[in-house]
Amino acid sequence: MVIQTLKRLTTGPKPVILLFVLILSSLYLMSAATQHSAQFGQLYSWILAINVFAMLLLLALIGRNLLHLIQQYRQRVAGSRLTVRLLVMFIILAVAPISVLYYFSLQFIHRGIDSWFELKIERALEDALELGRGALDSRLRERVRQTRQQADLLAREPDSSATLRLHEMRSNSEAVELTLLTFNGRVLGSSSLDPTMVVPTLPNTAILQQLRSGIDYVGLEPIRQRGGMHMRIVMQVSNPVPLGDPRLLHALYVVPERLDALANNVQQAYTQYSELGFLRQPLKYSFTLTLSLVLLLSLLTAVWAAFFSARRLAAPIRDLAEGTRAVADGNYDMRLPLPSNDELGFLVVSFNDMTRRIARARDDAQQSQQQVEQQRAYVEAVLACLSSGVITLDEQTALRTANSAAEQILGIPLHQHNGASLHALVEQYPALAPMLETLESRLEQSMGHWQAEVVLFGAGGRQVLICRGSPLHSGEQQLHGHVVVFDDVTTLIQAQRDAAWGEVARRLAHEIKNPLTPIQLSAERLRHKYLATMNKEDAELLDRSTHTIVQQVESMKKMVKAFSDYARPPQLQLQSIHPGELLNEVLDLYRGDPRLKLTLDIQHTLPRIEADAGRLRQLMHNLIKNALEAVTQEVVALDIGLRCAEETHCRFIELRLEDNGPGFPDEMAGQLFEPYVSSKPRGSGLGLAIVKKIVEEHGGILWANNREQGGASIGIRLPINHHPSTPTNHTGSQDE
Amino acid sequence: MVFTTPELSNSRPLLRGGCLAMLLLLSQPLLAADFHIHEVHVRLQDQVYLLDADIDYQFSEEALEALHNGVPLTIRIDIEIDRPRQWLWNINLGSLEQGFRLQYHALSDQYVLKNLNSGALYAYHSLWVALDELGMLRDYPLIDHKLLDPEQEYLVRLQARLDIEALPSPLRPIAYITPAWRLKSDWYQWSFKP
Repeated sequence: MVIQTLKRLTTGPKPVILLFVLILSSLYLMSAATQHSAQFGQLYSWILAINVFAMLLLLALIGRNLLHLIQQYRQRVAGSRLTVRLLVMFIILAVAPISVLYYFSLQFIHRGIDSWFELKIERALEDALELGRGALDSRLRERVRQTRQQADLLAREPDSSATLRLHEMRSNSEAVELTLLTFNGRVLGSSSLDPTMVVPTLPNTAILQQLRSGIDYVGLEPIRQRGGMHMRIVMQVSNPVPLGDPRLLHALYVVPERLDALANNVQQAYTQYSELGFLRQPLKYSFTLTLSLVLLLSLLTAVWAAFFSARRLAAPIRDLAEGTRAVADGNYDMRLPLPSNDELGFLVVSFNDMTRRIARARDDAQQSQQQVEQQRAYVEAVLACLSSGVITLDEQTALRTANSAAEQILGIPLHQHNGASLHALVEQYPALAPMLETLESRLEQSMGHWQAEVVLFGAGGRQVLICRGSPLHSGEQQLHGHVVVFDDVTTLIQAQRDAAWGEVARRLAHEIKNPLTPIQLSAERLRHKYLATMNKEDAELLDRSTHTIVQQVESMKKMVKAFSDYARPPQLQLQSIHPGELLNEVLDLYRGDPRLKLTLDIQHTLPRIEADAGRLRQLMHNLIKNALEAVTQEVVALDIGLRCAEETHCRFIELRLEDNGPGFPDEMAGQLFEPYVSSKPRGSGLGLAIVKKIVEEHGGILWANNREQGGASIGIRLPINHHPSTPTNHTGSQDE
Repeated sequence: MVFTTPELSNSRPLLRGGCLAMLLLLSQPLLAADFHIHEVHVRLQDQVYLLDADIDYQFSEEALEALHNGVPLTIRIDIEIDRPRQWLWNINLGSLEQGFRLQYHALSDQYVLKNLNSGALYAYHSLWVALDELGMLRDYPLIDHKLLDPEQEYLVRLQARLDIEALPSPLRPIAYITPAWRLKSDWYQWSFKP
């Protein structure tokens, strides 16, 4: 609190002005004292000391300011460079004229002091003094002669009558006082013109000492209290008694008033001139000192004022610089203090106004951004809930956003590729090529809504996507990109197909199987009834015909039964089985086949799985038989692999069969696992369809493709733990 | 009345030694120019203690030159009487100052000595005589006997100095910084018991 008050009192223009006035006053006093001003002469030393102290104080203040400024300059504080520049400018402006003035003033003072003294005046004064001495000496000689006579007269006078004699002598002479005394200062008699003078004026011990050595004393004495200059004459008086004490006559004479005044004037003028002459050099020093102090104080005050002014001038600019830096750093809440009502003040007001507006604009922008973010989050939440994949592309067809369903459908972490072009995506994920082709053609051609079916062949198998797209426009109809919505309809299509086949099977069973028995019975009845009654030829014809009818009906029955078996709902007998053992059991039935060349790769550490052993046997039989039937070569090389699918963390076992046959025809791709689709001349068309059905009953997936070196390859994955609800929509029956 | 051995108040030997060495090095000829207090006597007369002191005034050449050029020299004799206490600072019973102004009178070739306290004027035909007279301080009334406690010991200090402040102002700055002008005696201190 105290420090703050002190700081407040010592900052600002008022203390500067006060100090300046004090220094000026002090300098004036010193100047007055230097010039012998009586009232200030006594205080000269104090004033000098105060001025020196003020100078030291100013030096300390300047030093402190300078140190502070250097620190600020080194730390590159805003405004410090400007302060330094202003300071240097102010100092140069102050120092140059003051220094010139100082030099010429000094010269002027020295010459002025020297001009006071002239040899002629000095000589004249000395002559006047000599003249005065001469005038006084002639009178003094007269008084000496007179005193000698009086002393001679007194020589015959005894001490007892000396006073009367002295009185008589003084009355007859111009002496103001006559005293007869001994060498040790004892007064024997005295007579004075002044009746109030009880005690006579006595010569001092030095005079008495001189007289003891036999030399008379004659002197002029400027004893003011007795009314001016006096002549003192002391001489020895002859003693009337030879052995008596030696006596002295002491006479005082007054110098005539006129002569005394003149002599006094000469004395005063001479003394003053002499003193002034002696003080010439000290006076020069003194004036130089005063002027130097004035210069130094003025300089230091100017420097300090320069610091003060530079700081004050630079302060709003420094504030502005700091404010600008703060604005550049994004701090728009900074408000600068208003320095004054001048242009800088206007600038500060404008700056504050600007930052206020920027802050308001920023707040608005932040609010808008928050709203946009909320909208975006809302849209993203909606999109995330969609089962349809949604991606947005910019006008350069680079990926902007994708929802989780899109990533799920395509099996690609699209969020990692935001901003990547579709071409770059395709380079990394070649399976997306058909989609890219479709999108490119649609995006180039159509500016409106479009829909297309895209078939992808990825690691997960075949996927049928229904894509719908629409361009994104801003308010000014400017194209901002595209939105593409796609659905994986593979499962849907498959389900529709399965449902259709199931219906076909049901209707076949119902519509075909029912009439077959009457047909067969009727044919057998015809044969039974008419075979015996007919002639041989007719009988043979009838026999063949009815046999054919019965055989074909039987065949049709088998076909219908097989079909109805295919179409019947699953009734799995789940049990824990070892897939390797089951495979070996099935393969044992084929090991005797000379055409077959088996290559097995069964993993030793296979887990047990939950499955229907009978259905799995059928599956394996169907696959092996399918291969045997499909391969036209003499030797059927069948590579069978059974392993735990590491990539699924062993949640599935994977069975793979590869043959050396002709492979699947390209035109059958996509329908391999459909009923009655077969490339074999003797195939029933249900083998692979049943395989697929069994796989799906177990919640697994299967796929088929042609090997690069020739031959077909079929892969099956079955879950280790059977879950009827296992989704198979994206891993369902997919074929290549 | 009991007199004790006089002692110099400035009794720091190291400092004194250092100053002396410096003076010897810097201003050998100026050593003579200084004031010295030789002897001091205090005696009781008519219930008043009177002081007699013999002071040797040795002026520097600069001071004498100034005197002969009409510059009056003022000599001050400072006297202080203290009552010492064992644990606390001394009590000052009184400070006396006796001033003399010495001036050269060119017309009469006399040295005029003025007692600034009484205003009495004395003229001497020789400087040495004037200085001898000045150096003999006689019958200076120190303190009334009634003011002193007979059981108490008192300290008296005496110093003679040239008053620089009485010099003409142009001479003062030089006088302050020139050793030849800083003429003064050491404090002469002694104790006495009434």
